[in-house]
Amino acid sequence: MIYAKRILAFFLFAVFLMAILLAASFVFMPKNNMSEFGMEEAQANGILGEKENTIDVLVLGDSESYSAITPMQIWKDAGYTAYVCGTSAQSLNYTSVLLHRAFEKQQPKVVILETNAIYRKISSNQAVGTELANYFSVFQYHNRWKSLGLHDFTGKAKFTWTDDYKGYRYRTKVDPARQKEYMKPTDKAADIPNLNIQYVREMKQFCDENGSRLVLVSTPSTVNWNFQRHNGIQKLANDIGCEYMDLNLMNDRIQIDWSKDTRDKGDHLNHFGAVKVSRFLSEYLKETGLLTDHREDPAYAKWNDSLKKYETAVEKA
Amino acid sequence: MFSLTSYFSVEYLVVLLPLSVGLYAVLPQKLRRVSLLLSSYVFFWAVSGKLIAYLLFSTLSIHHIGLWLSSIQRDCDSLVAASPKEKRKEIKAQYLKKQRFVVAFAVMVHIGILLVLKYTPFFAGNLNTLFQVFRIPVTLAIPSFVLPIGISFYTMQAVAYIFDVYRRKIPADRNLLRLALFMGFFPQIMEGPICRYSETAEQLWEAPKLRYQNVTFGVQRILFGMMKKIIIADRLNLFIKNVFSGYESYDGFVIAVSAVCYTIQLYMDFSGTMDLVIGSGQIFGMKLPENFQRPFFSKTISEFWKRWHITLGAWFKDYIFYPLSMSKPLKKLTSRARKRLGNHFGPLLAGAIALFCVWLCNGLWHGSGWNYIFFGMYHFGLILAGSMVEPLVVWVTRKLHIERSSFPYRCFQIVRTGILVCIGELFFRAPGLRAGLSMFKRIFTDFSLASVQDQSIFTLGMDKHDCLIVLLMLIFIFIIGVLKERNIQIRERIAAKNVVVRFAVYYALILSIVIFGAYGSGYVPVDPIYAGF
Repeated sequence: MIYAKRILAFFLFAVFLMAILLAASFVFMPKNNMSEFGMEEAQANGILGEKENTIDVLVLGDSESYSAITPMQIWKDAGYTAYVCGTSAQSLNYTSVLLHRAFEKQQPKVVILETNAIYRKISSNQAVGTELANYFSVFQYHNRWKSLGLHDFTGKAKFTWTDDYKGYRYRTKVDPARQKEYMKPTDKAADIPNLNIQYVREMKQFCDENGSRLVLVSTPSTVNWNFQRHNGIQKLANDIGCEYMDLNLMNDRIQIDWSKDTRDKGDHLNHFGAVKVSRFLSEYLKETGLLTDHREDPAYAKWNDSLKKYETAVEKA
Repeated sequence: MFSLTSYFSVEYLVVLLPLSVGLYAVLPQKLRRVSLLLSSYVFFWAVSGKLIAYLLFSTLSIHHIGLWLSSIQRDCDSLVAASPKEKRKEIKAQYLKKQRFVVAFAVMVHIGILLVLKYTPFFAGNLNTLFQVFRIPVTLAIPSFVLPIGISFYTMQAVAYIFDVYRRKIPADRNLLRLALFMGFFPQIMEGPICRYSETAEQLWEAPKLRYQNVTFGVQRILFGMMKKIIIADRLNLFIKNVFSGYESYDGFVIAVSAVCYTIQLYMDFSGTMDLVIGSGQIFGMKLPENFQRPFFSKTISEFWKRWHITLGAWFKDYIFYPLSMSKPLKKLTSRARKRLGNHFGPLLAGAIALFCVWLCNGLWHGSGWNYIFFGMYHFGLILAGSMVEPLVVWVTRKLHIERSSFPYRCFQIVRTGILVCIGELFFRAPGLRAGLSMFKRIFTDFSLASVQDQSIFTLGMDKHDCLIVLLMLIFIFIIGVLKERNIQIRERIAAKNVVVRFAVYYALILSIVIFGAYGSGYVPVDPIYAGF
C-alpha cells in the first residue's frame, strides 16, 4: 500500500512539475520573433514570420550555410523562395528542431542540409538540452527573467517579423585562403558519429513523409572540407537514398576564386562566393522541375520589396 | 561513445546515477555491492577510459601490501607471545623495521606515481630554468601525461589505508572487492571527499536497501548542490575569466571584486559538488564524510581550514603533521626549545616545522606551480603568525576592555578571516605567481571606483541582474548556514511537513535552477575545479 502511495505521489509530482514548466514556458517564450523581444537566433527564426506555405526551399546548417547561400539571389535568378535557417555551430539535434519548426507553417519542396554540421559531435548535454527546450521553451529562454513584463504573463506569442535577407548573413570582407588544393582524392572516409547518422536518417524520413526532397550540399570551404569528409557523406547519402552535391568538387562550374571569395582564409565564403553558389543552386533548382517561379505572383510582392532592400545594400557596398 | 566530464552533466544525472540506483533497487544485497562496483568502474571508464588501469593497480597493490603488513604483524605477535619478556622489545623493533620498510615501499609506489604523472613537467621546467641561469647547456624534454580522474584523491585513500593497517587501526582487508569499492565508489572518486577505510568500506559493502527517506534527502541535497553550482558558480565564471585573463586592463577595485567572486565561486563549485556527491551517496544509504562546515563563519585561518576541505586537512594532520611532530628529532627539539623559549613558543618551533611540511604538501597537492606553493606558504605564515601573536592579542584586548566573545568582535574576526582567505585565493587563481603579485599590488596602487561610477564593471560578464541574483542566492545560503550553525535540521523539518509543503520545496528548488541557472547561450560553465587536483 505504501509503495502504491509513493508511486502515485511521484506520478503527481511529475505531472505538476510538467504543468509548472509549461506555464513557465508560456511566460518565458518571447512574444515576438524579433531579437528585441528576446528571440534567440532571430535571423533563423525569421521563417516563423513568413506567410503560410510560401517557402519553396529550406536551407539548414551551420555558419557555412548562412555564409554560402543567399536566398535573394535565388529569388532574383529563378523566382524561388528560399529561407536559410542556419545558426552558428549548429548541431544536428538543433537542425532537427528547426526543420520541424519550419514545417509547422511551411511545406518546402526542397530541403537543403549543409553537410558541415553532420560532422559536429553532439554531447548528451546538448541533445537533452535541445530536446527539453523544444518541449519547454523556459529552458531556452530562462534568461528572459531579466526583462519580463506584464505582457509576458498575459499576451500570446505572435511571430510577425521576417528577415529581408532570409537568413543569409551578408559579409563582403576578403581574406584570401592559402590552401587551395584541399580536395586531394583518397579512398578513406571520415567517420560520422552514429547519433548524427541517426538524425540525418530521421530528417530524411520526415522529408519523405512530408513530400519534400532532402538534398545534402557541401558548400565550398578549404578549412572545413576534404575528400575524406566527402567520401563519408557520399556513403551516408548512398545508404539513406539521398541526393548529394559536393560543390567543392564542382568548381569548374561554380568558379570560386579563393583569393577573392572568402572572408576568413577559406573557412567561410563572403558575399561574392555566396552569389556564385546561389546562382549554381538556382540552376540546379530549375533543373529539378519541382518549383514555380513566383516573381510575377502578387502574393509574393513582399519578396520583391526585400530584393530591393538587398540590392540597395549590395550596391552601397 | 558514452563519456563523462562532470557530475553536473546529463550523462551523470540523467543516465548513470538513475541507472545505478535502478539496478541497485532491484538486486538482492549480495549483488547490490557488485552493482555499485560495476557502476563505479563504468563511471571511471567514462571519464578516463583506459587510465582505469591506474586505479586497478592501486587497488591491487594496497590489497597485497595490506595483507603483507598483516602477515608481518601476525608473525611478530606470535613470536612475541612465545618469547621471554626481555627479548620482546628487540623482536618488536625488528618487526617494526620490516613494517616500516613495507610502508615506505607502498608510499613510494603510490606517491611516486602521483609525483611522476602530476609534477614531472613542473620539476623539469624548473630544472631547465636553473640550467639556463647557470648556463649549463642541457635542456630536459618536458613530458606531459594524461592524469586519470581523481588520482590525488584515491592515492590519498590508498596511503591512508596502508598507514591505518600499519598502525593497527584497522585489519587488512582480505576481500579485494570490498577494497575496490572503497577505492573507487563513483560519487566520490572524482573530487572526494577523501574517505578512510574505517568510515566507508563496511557500509559500502553492506549495501543497505534503498529507503524512501534516504532517496528524498539525497535528491534534496543534489538539488541544493546544483543550485550552488549552476546559479552562482557558473554565473560568476565569465566575469572571473575576463578579469583574471586580462588583469592588466582593470583597476584595483575590479581586481579586488574578482578575488572575492573567485573565492565565492570556488566555494560554491566545490561545496556544491560535495552536496551532489554526498546526496548521491545518501540515495544508496551511504554516509560519506562532510567536506565543508560553513567555512566563512570561521574566526581564524586555522579554524577556516578545519571547516574547508575537511577531509584533506584531516589527512594532512593524521599522516603528515602528527607523525612528523611525534618523530624523535622533533620531540627532542621541542624539549630543548621549551627550556629556552618557554611553554608557548617552545612547542611552536617544532610544530612550525611540521606545519611547514603540511602546507608545502597542501600547496603542491593543489597544483604544480609556484603560485600554489605560495598559496600553501601564505596559509602556513598566517596560521603560524596567528599562534605566535595570540598571547599579544589576548593582552591587547584585555587592556582595551574588548570582550573577545562579543558579537561585534566575532564579526570583526569573521570579516578579517574572509579577507585573508580572498587574498590567498587571488594567488591561487592567478595565472602564475608573478601575475598574482602584480594583481595584489594593483589593488593598492591602482584602486579606483571609476568602473562603478561609469558602470563598466557591469559589462565584464555580469550585468546588474546577474549581481542581484547572486546576492539573493548568497543571502539564502547564508540563512541556511546560520540555521545549520544553530544545529537546526532543516531537511528533517521539511520532511515532517505535509505533502504540499514538501512538493513546494522541490518545485522551488527545481524552478530556481531552471530559471536562474547560468546555462545555455552566453554562459560557459565552470570546469570542475577540484577534479583537476
